[in-house]
Amino acid sequence: MTARRVRYERMIWALRLTTRITFAAALAGTLLPGHGGRTASAVAVGLVIAAPLVRVAWLAYRWGRWGDRRFASVAGALLLVVGTGTAIALLTR
Amino acid sequence: MPGSFLLVLLALATAALGALGGLGGAVVLVPLLVLSGMPAREAAPLGLLSVASGSLSAGPRQLADLTVHHRLGVTTETMASAGAVTGALLSGAFGETLLKRLLATVALAAAVASLRGRDETHAVAVAEGAGDLGEQRGTLSGTFRAEGTVRRYQARNLPGGLAVMTLAGLVAGIAGASGGFIKTPAASEIMRVPVKVAASTTTFTVGVTSAAALLVFAAHGRINLAHAGPVITGSLLGGQIGARLQSRLGSSVIRRALAGILVGVSLILFVQA
Repeated sequence: MTARRVRYERMIWALRLTTRITFAAALAGTLLPGHGGRTASAVAVGLVIAAPLVRVAWLAYRWGRWGDRRFASVAGALLLVVGTGTAIALLTR
Repeated sequence: MPGSFLLVLLALATAALGALGGLGGAVVLVPLLVLSGMPAREAAPLGLLSVASGSLSAGPRQLADLTVHHRLGVTTETMASAGAVTGALLSGAFGETLLKRLLATVALAAAVASLRGRDETHAVAVAEGAGDLGEQRGTLSGTFRAEGTVRRYQARNLPGGLAVMTLAGLVAGIAGASGGFIKTPAASEIMRVPVKVAASTTTFTVGVTSAAALLVFAAHGRINLAHAGPVITGSLLGGQIGARLQSRLGSSVIRRALAGILVGVSLILFVQA
């Protein structure tokens, strides 16, 4: 139990930090008028989108390092699906 | 259309409910925004921002509780994200009335499924120290702590689960709801995963589903930044509140709350349609 919990410590720390930065940016986006507010909101939106994808990439890396290649490949495939969807969206806008 | 302060409050309340049941608050937020006069085309990305924020906010606490099964989440998410991207690319082609009736029907079916089963059939009690708590490496099995005992579970019927997760992703991409209200009952009832693990894992996966669809919406210029700030602010706070309540409540309480929320959402959608 302890070992598993230690393995998640970095992820918990990173998620907490990301949450705080995102909250600060979103709050600034709510309170600030004009260009500054829109820029802060854009930062918050970017972080909210990036956080789960970075988490999946992190898991893929960890699983690959531990020799759990099957699930590392699945995580890589998931990122490939998201990347392909984004590319299609950019091509069809 | 609601102002910034009302948007914060709406997002807070719905994100708390979403994190509590692992269903994502957007399934409530999006209909409320549309009822307030916001075009569905604009409300959908805001719904997904709410889901992604709630997922981010609830993540640390659920990781500490060791109830998130990442391997199960990533495996099912490959199909859910494919569905979400497809749905986001196709969104706008479906009539709104038909979409709302479809959502209402699915939510009602999920409520019935959620009330029907019992946790004890999905996990067996094992001795303390029988292995690490949480997911087991290289498998879709794991252990978790419930009501003072350590319980072991094994995800089953992966093909069935993947099929329903694809549908959940499609719903998320088209409507802007997370699809979590389909995912949690599917993981619990079809894949036989304990509801507490299913809810935490869904909270993780709805963040990925939302990110996949939001990238499509961003590429198409459909995210309103003036509304995004208030929605993310409220959702982050709501996600924290929901996650705290989830770790204090038992599985049966979550299951009943989930069913109640689903029935409520279904009625709202039927009234709207």
